[in-house]
Amino acid sequence: MTFWSLFKRNRSAVLGLVILLAIVFMAATAQLFFPEDPFRLIGKPMSSPGENGFLLGSDSLGRDVASGIAHGAKTSLLIGLMATVVAVGFGTIMGGLAGYYGGRIDDLLMRVTEMFQTIPSFIFAILLVAIMKPSIESIVIAIAVVSWPAVARLVRGEFLSLKTREFVQACHTVGMSDIRIILGEILPNCLSPIIVIGSLMVATAILIESGLAFLGLGDPNIMSWGFQIGAGRTLLRSAWWVCTFPGIAILVTVLAINLVGEGLNDALNPRLRERT
Amino acid sequence: MKITKWISGALTAVTMVAAATAARAEGGTLVMLVQPEPPSLASYLSTSGPIGLMAPKIYEGLLDYDKDLQAVPSLAKSYKVSADGKTVTFNLQKGVKWHDGEPFTSADVQFTVMEVLSKIHPRGPNSFREVESIDTPDEHTAIFNLKNPAPYMLRALSGYESPMAPKHLLEGEDYRSAPLGNKPVGTGPFKFVEWKKGQYIRLDKNEDYWKEGLPKLDRIVGRFIPDASTRTAAMENGEVHYGAYGAIPNIDAVRLREMDSIGVTTDGYGMINPMALIEFDTTEPPFDDPKVRKAVSMALDRQFLIDNIWFGYGQPATSALSSNFGATGLHDAEAANYPSGPNVDEAKKLLKEAGAEDISITLDLIPYGEDWRRAGEYMKQALGDIGIKADLRYEDVPTWLKRIYADYDFDMNVNYFYQLPDPVLGVHRHYGTDQIRQGTHFVNSSRYSNPDLDALLVKGAQEPDAEKRAAIYSDVQKILGDDKPVANLFEMNFLTVYDSSLKDHDTSALGAYGSFSEAYFDK
Repeated sequence: MTFWSLFKRNRSAVLGLVILLAIVFMAATAQLFFPEDPFRLIGKPMSSPGENGFLLGSDSLGRDVASGIAHGAKTSLLIGLMATVVAVGFGTIMGGLAGYYGGRIDDLLMRVTEMFQTIPSFIFAILLVAIMKPSIESIVIAIAVVSWPAVARLVRGEFLSLKTREFVQACHTVGMSDIRIILGEILPNCLSPIIVIGSLMVATAILIESGLAFLGLGDPNIMSWGFQIGAGRTLLRSAWWVCTFPGIAILVTVLAINLVGEGLNDALNPRLRERT
Repeated sequence: MKITKWISGALTAVTMVAAATAARAEGGTLVMLVQPEPPSLASYLSTSGPIGLMAPKIYEGLLDYDKDLQAVPSLAKSYKVSADGKTVTFNLQKGVKWHDGEPFTSADVQFTVMEVLSKIHPRGPNSFREVESIDTPDEHTAIFNLKNPAPYMLRALSGYESPMAPKHLLEGEDYRSAPLGNKPVGTGPFKFVEWKKGQYIRLDKNEDYWKEGLPKLDRIVGRFIPDASTRTAAMENGEVHYGAYGAIPNIDAVRLREMDSIGVTTDGYGMINPMALIEFDTTEPPFDDPKVRKAVSMALDRQFLIDNIWFGYGQPATSALSSNFGATGLHDAEAANYPSGPNVDEAKKLLKEAGAEDISITLDLIPYGEDWRRAGEYMKQALGDIGIKADLRYEDVPTWLKRIYADYDFDMNVNYFYQLPDPVLGVHRHYGTDQIRQGTHFVNSSRYSNPDLDALLVKGAQEPDAEKRAAIYSDVQKILGDDKPVANLFEMNFLTVYDSSLKDHDTSALGAYGSFSEAYFDK
């Protein structure tokens, strides 16, 4: 069966994918529909949705909430993706080396991993951003730093089980180099779980970014959903729309990514494949 | 609505402290908001706002000031100014003890004024600039010998402005890092008990207070609640009783004003005279050019800031001096050369003349709450309109203070300064060459230096004749209007929000910076 036919058996995953694509489209076309800087004060402050030409209202300074959501989508997705790529890349290297070589290297790398896992991830992220000064790079680094241990453990497990298989041992006997075995033989065979954990990690990264921005630790020069909620929360009673709509945006995006992740899991996991 | 309440309530509960469960019996505990958490309680060293909320309950000054800004006795029972104005004799109260049991004497006064306030206090060197020496003929008499008459000095002797510090705990120590900074020992109505970092500062009643029958409260707890809406919720459900200096955002204060159990006032800031402003680094491009500084000032819509961020509380600045100095004739409306509204074209023209088109700068924001962030976001836009690309930077208080006043590592900084009851006390420190004092907070961080202005400031400080003095300050305003090392934004109106059962918290002109010795709950 092709991948797509496996994936589409999960209806909710398809729904998630459609929503996700819509959000990606929104992020990509934000500049088109809202050519102005989202921080721009373009109208009467605190206009309610529909009033004064604001689709979703304006905030305390007269910034367009809808424009903020469209531009914020770009930030959220970008940070989510970048942080995930960094975390997955680093986690895979650490986990792969630990799993493949075992012994002391394994001990050493896993102790390091555990050290990171013992620190509550969100608090750790706050600390890192606060030390490095809030900026888009520091946020990506902070999210990656708190996310990679999970990947490392997963990859290590996969490597541990794969390295004892016959096909890997066959490679050893024909004299293949370690690096070729790791990259050419074992890694491709554990890509599915990595893709699945990576897709779910994007959702977590978006949540962490929003949380940081809500606490005022976002990059003050970049529009994001968390920033909108943070800036709007003092107005919650007088202008509910300022933080409600970005909140819905976060909810929908994270939900969609989770659904897609589930679908990927169903489609890529050979053990689950025969269940249905 | 209910859900919101519940959420903010839950958030508050998380940060709640045991000490804050207010018992409203006789005496009782006053829980006041302190925002943000102060870097220390060394009020002899820093005038940082949150220090001013807590420290004057612990430390006292020689005098206090009543609601009409008239001096009333405090640690000094009385004072006498000699006919030539050059000798001021203070008779100190008898039987006053520091919180650690040591007696308070004239030696403490001499030490505090000569060694501490005149040297490291941000405003002290100005307030006591004419003090040559202090004689202490006996334990209860302190005689200030002045080089020139200094009438403004007598307005700067409150426990907030010039706190008397214990000589026996500071002498021989490095004043900036002495343990006293975090464990204050004063003579005031409340004693320092504990400081739970990130949560609260607790002060208990000083049983041996020298004023008979005071203080009325048993305890004052200063709570740090970083989130503005949580602060409002805490005020609304009676968990805290007092919030001043914008602790409750104006938008919420306007709403709370309607509740019977809560009072809102703009009183208690008469001696403070706060002014929102921008400090420029005048030593480096692009802001070494007065034209660029003027262009920035011209690009900003001050009324927009007041209306949309401070909900109408404030007046646009018209010159380097607050219009409140109009009462003493020092604010010259003629010399007031500030633009009445934003003028983008004119600002662009100035930038072009200065050859500073398409420049990028970093805009630092005073980390005292959301309002300042919003102001920064507005300014970034307004500056973008004239071709200045501004990056916003918002840090924690110690980092920010160090950046602006110790490292001088900034381009322009949004801040607010207290102009105080006299320009000598509040305004000179911002512009004088002698006020370029690296490491001291809230002084001339722009490092503006102009001999003409320095000469005028000296003359202004010593001139006893009101009319001549007004003429001097008119010139000062003209020079500062042209050079704008600092661009004033607007005269701020702070709001104090309080539980209406709390009485007599406002007996002093200093409002929230007062000692609260007479405050009590009427319930």
